[in-house]
Amino acid sequence: MAVQPPPPSRTGSVGPASAGGMNTPTAGTPVSQGPGAGSNQNLNQIVLEYLSKKGYSRTEAMLRRESGNVTFDANGQPITFDDKFKGRRWHEAYNVVKVWVDSILDIYKSELTRILWPLFVHCFIETIADCFPGEGRFFFNECRKPFDDEHSDDLRELSNIQEPEHVQQNDIAQLYRTNKYRLTLSKMGFATLIEFLETKEGEGGKSINFLINNHLDVRTVDRAAIGGARGLQRLMEEKQGDEQAPAEDEGIPGHHPGSANLNPDATGALHRLQLAPLPMEVDLMDDVKAELSHEDSSRPPRQGRSTLVEQFEQRIKVEPSDDTAPSRDSIPFPPSTARDVAMEVQKVKENRDRFRIEGKTGGVGPGVSVTMFTFHNTFDSVNCIEFSDDNTLAAIGTAESSAGLPSFIITTTYRAFGPVYALSFSPSAAIPAPPTNGHTDHPTSPDSHPRYMLSSSADTTIRLWSLDTWTNLVVYRSHNSPVWDVRFCPHGHYFASASADRTARLWSTPQIAPLRIFAGHDSDVETVAWHPNGAYVFTGAGVGDKTIRMWSIAQGTQARIFTGHAGNITAIACAPNGHVVASADDKGVIILWDLRTGRLVKRMRGHGAGGIWSLDWSVESTVLVSGGADNSVRVWDVQPSKETHPKVNGENGGVAKIDGATANGGAAAGKVAKAKGREQSTADMISDFKTKKSPVYKVRFTQMNLVVAGGAYLP
Amino acid sequence: MSVWNPENVTDVAESIGIASLNRDVVEHLARDVEYRMSQVLNEALKFMRHGKRTTLTTQDVSQALRLLDVEPLYGYESIRPLRFGEASIGPGQPLFYVEDEEVDFEKLINAPLPKVPREMSFTAHWLAVEGVQPSIPQNPLTDPRSAELAAKGSSANSTLAAVSGNDNVTVKPLVKHVLSKELQLYFERICGAILDEGNDEYRSAAFASLRTDTGLHQLIPYFVQFVADKVTHNLKSIFILSQSMQLLAALLDNQSLYLAPYVPGIVPSILTCLVGKHLGNPAIDGATTHFALRDYSASLLSKIAKQYGPSSSTLKPRIARSCLKHFLDSHKPFGTHYGAVLGLTMIAGAQGVRALILPSLKTYDLHLQEGMKDDGKREQADYVVQAILRGLQTLQEDAVITATSNGHPESDALKERLVEAVGEVVGGRLYDSGRQGLINAVLEKDTTV
Repeated sequence: MAVQPPPPSRTGSVGPASAGGMNTPTAGTPVSQGPGAGSNQNLNQIVLEYLSKKGYSRTEAMLRRESGNVTFDANGQPITFDDKFKGRRWHEAYNVVKVWVDSILDIYKSELTRILWPLFVHCFIETIADCFPGEGRFFFNECRKPFDDEHSDDLRELSNIQEPEHVQQNDIAQLYRTNKYRLTLSKMGFATLIEFLETKEGEGGKSINFLINNHLDVRTVDRAAIGGARGLQRLMEEKQGDEQAPAEDEGIPGHHPGSANLNPDATGALHRLQLAPLPMEVDLMDDVKAELSHEDSSRPPRQGRSTLVEQFEQRIKVEPSDDTAPSRDSIPFPPSTARDVAMEVQKVKENRDRFRIEGKTGGVGPGVSVTMFTFHNTFDSVNCIEFSDDNTLAAIGTAESSAGLPSFIITTTYRAFGPVYALSFSPSAAIPAPPTNGHTDHPTSPDSHPRYMLSSSADTTIRLWSLDTWTNLVVYRSHNSPVWDVRFCPHGHYFASASADRTARLWSTPQIAPLRIFAGHDSDVETVAWHPNGAYVFTGAGVGDKTIRMWSIAQGTQARIFTGHAGNITAIACAPNGHVVASADDKGVIILWDLRTGRLVKRMRGHGAGGIWSLDWSVESTVLVSGGADNSVRVWDVQPSKETHPKVNGENGGVAKIDGATANGGAAAGKVAKAKGREQSTADMISDFKTKKSPVYKVRFTQMNLVVAGGAYLP
Repeated sequence: MSVWNPENVTDVAESIGIASLNRDVVEHLARDVEYRMSQVLNEALKFMRHGKRTTLTTQDVSQALRLLDVEPLYGYESIRPLRFGEASIGPGQPLFYVEDEEVDFEKLINAPLPKVPREMSFTAHWLAVEGVQPSIPQNPLTDPRSAELAAKGSSANSTLAAVSGNDNVTVKPLVKHVLSKELQLYFERICGAILDEGNDEYRSAAFASLRTDTGLHQLIPYFVQFVADKVTHNLKSIFILSQSMQLLAALLDNQSLYLAPYVPGIVPSILTCLVGKHLGNPAIDGATTHFALRDYSASLLSKIAKQYGPSSSTLKPRIARSCLKHFLDSHKPFGTHYGAVLGLTMIAGAQGVRALILPSLKTYDLHLQEGMKDDGKREQADYVVQAILRGLQTLQEDAVITATSNGHPESDALKERLVEAVGEVVGGRLYDSGRQGLINAVLEKDTTV
């Protein structure tokens, strides 16, 4: 457990006394203060006492604040920086630390490097706030280099701050100023840092110390004791792989890994999650069972296949696990209809007849089939593509304010107002037409087409469209910024939306006002996803926040928070088994998170920069598929890997993992690794299918484990 | 200092009637303008990202302005990127403006309507089937090997490089090919044995092994390369050339080998031996030994054509074309012509002879006559004539002659007709041979064609 060390006092000896050998007398720390300092201190004391006696509390507070700003040197003289320092004060201070960190022992280097970013931001902001635009700009350009990769978005936002009032107005600057940047260091590392800062007191150590005290929340851990993710071994490994990724608990919201509790003193207690599938309604279950047994008797399964009823029983069987299921009372749904029964039956059927993907066996990845739908003549105006669950409809949202449905039969264009950013179909299942050649006394199955479609747009509205009448039914207004994403609950009825107003909202279709407002993100909520049991919603945020948060529908509270992405979150998908969630960012990284423990499972690299627009899981939750702006659909193995450092896929290791028969895929992977020296794929990429100049906007696993991908051809 | 020029602020201030503005204020405002612009751009980038685009459009900017509660700029809506013009209003003072054409209404109304943009549509294809990407036009070219080969083109051909002298080009193999120690040893021994002029027994043993042994698949490319190498470097040695041909023949004989993929690599070597300009050293081997080699090569070629012609539609036409080219080139020596005629006869058969050789015999006759006159060349020319005769013989075998020897024309007239058809030298020989069927077959051309 991280224990906050006694906050180092601004003057005097700092650093844990236990750090043996650190307090060498030669360090030159001013252990005793000169008589001048003493008298000055006394004077302040007298005045303060006087003020408090007289009841001038505000003046007293002011004096305290003012006197805090004045720093004294060893002789008690207020330190006034030389003229040559002036605006370069922070720059110098930062440089001192930077040079020191660069030359420090390797075991501390990787963790202490992480402290440079918040220091850089604060030094820059302080310089600007001190009204030195020129120097600030110079400092920024001089020192931004090491952060270009990881913090490019933040850098872009910060780069144009030039005046103190910009500091007040800039989101990122305010974020850093008003929050404490959390960072975990090992005890020794932190002690070394503090000691160093003391020796350099006059040359900026004091300024840095001030920043650390005021704007950073440094946690110290005993590296040897904690082992695991922060162990020495791990640190060295990371260094080998040149891993430059933020730790799980680093950053502005700064939470205890696996907990959503932002209170810095909170223990790491985890909110208990209900991850089991939503139980079925009793009536519905009976109906479905009856239907299935009827089906079984009229069309008995082939040899070796289980009957539909068996399949169904297996599916709804409550596994003896510590997962609890959310109760139906907490998430009320409208009563089920004949359509629901038909859909459930079809789901069971599809589940039985699906193409099974059993995960990576014997080093050979499963062969996944992908159908690609390519849209032509789009002129880059397509914002999103969505496929319905019954695989009969595809919808596109375009920049020209329309959502089109280019299906085989119908081409209708809906007019909305402003670019459409997301679409979502209500749940449906593909029910084949009943066979006509056989004698069936089967009543015609209720139409299972998706009934509704949602669209979200830049005009801050969400619209519900009927697919029966092809008209707009409802306009949901509540967001006050463009709505970036909207998604139907896996069971229908409810939907969640994500907006640039930094909130996500939960709605139900019959009500025009949101049921819940999920507030907490520090920047735009870029994407939203549902837990398969419909009891939780995941949201991912962009620049400045970069967290993924998990919200409980029933309580409306934050159940989990995941930090670790370096770019904007572009896609989230929760595994059908309900235990793992995958998130992707526009830097080409996919991260898997374990919901129960709230910890990072692994990072997967391989996609080029530019955004992974869509993720989806296979029915068995064994394989993840992703599609992105780098014109590729990739298939990933989700088993937690022992191997953490990335490996170039073109070499024998990577290719050997790919089946000899998939020479095409393997060769393509090799080419990627060759073509862009920096772009490495982790070994868990099973295959990489390149499209022809078509960014992939949407990938989806059908119930039968076929991948459907959609993209626009951009010659 | 800032990107935004403070002068602009002064200009604007003057335009609204503020004459003097403190320098500090101007700079401050300039910096502020710059910050605001970057703010708008950052917001616009957000819209671009959600539009899943990589180009920023004017629409993104107006959306961003709307989000920031600023009146958007109207009149810049365009899908295409705006074109900026540059004009100079003084030394070092460029002025940028949006290029905006003046539109003449008259013209616009009378102009034909622009093409309607195509309707948005979609197509479906298999991006991958069970983990393998099918090579269909909708999928990108995935095999880097073929791409590399295409890029290198002819410069990668080591044989050509060898001819041009720089044969020490090391071609890095694209695929690591592991050859067992035994096979390597076998290869060395075979090569050594074949080129061993003194030991006939050894040599024939080697050929026998090549003819019958199974499991030589891995060595085929090496043998093909070996032959190509030997042929290009040893044009002067009939022995090596004929041994190389025999090696190929032995490989072709081997029932357990599948040579189809290597045929394109084999054919050039054989063609070299067939129509090469100067094969062997006349001083040592004698002036006519090379004809035997040419005969052998021709038979080898016909064998390949017979065996692999059906599987490769372009194989026969390609060989026939190059043979014909050599035949029609009168600057080539008779040896080449001999080979070319042989090749054509073998490859193209009777139809080929009729269609390709017969029509050009008349013109070729002049060349032959010249050769006959020259003592040095007579022998060679004679070979060619014999080859032609042999070719014409196939016509006889092929021809279906309904009325044989039904009324002989006058012998002189017949000879004249022959000379008319195939030239003096060949015609004379034909006539002298006195084979009525052959003559008829040759002359049939006149009646049928």
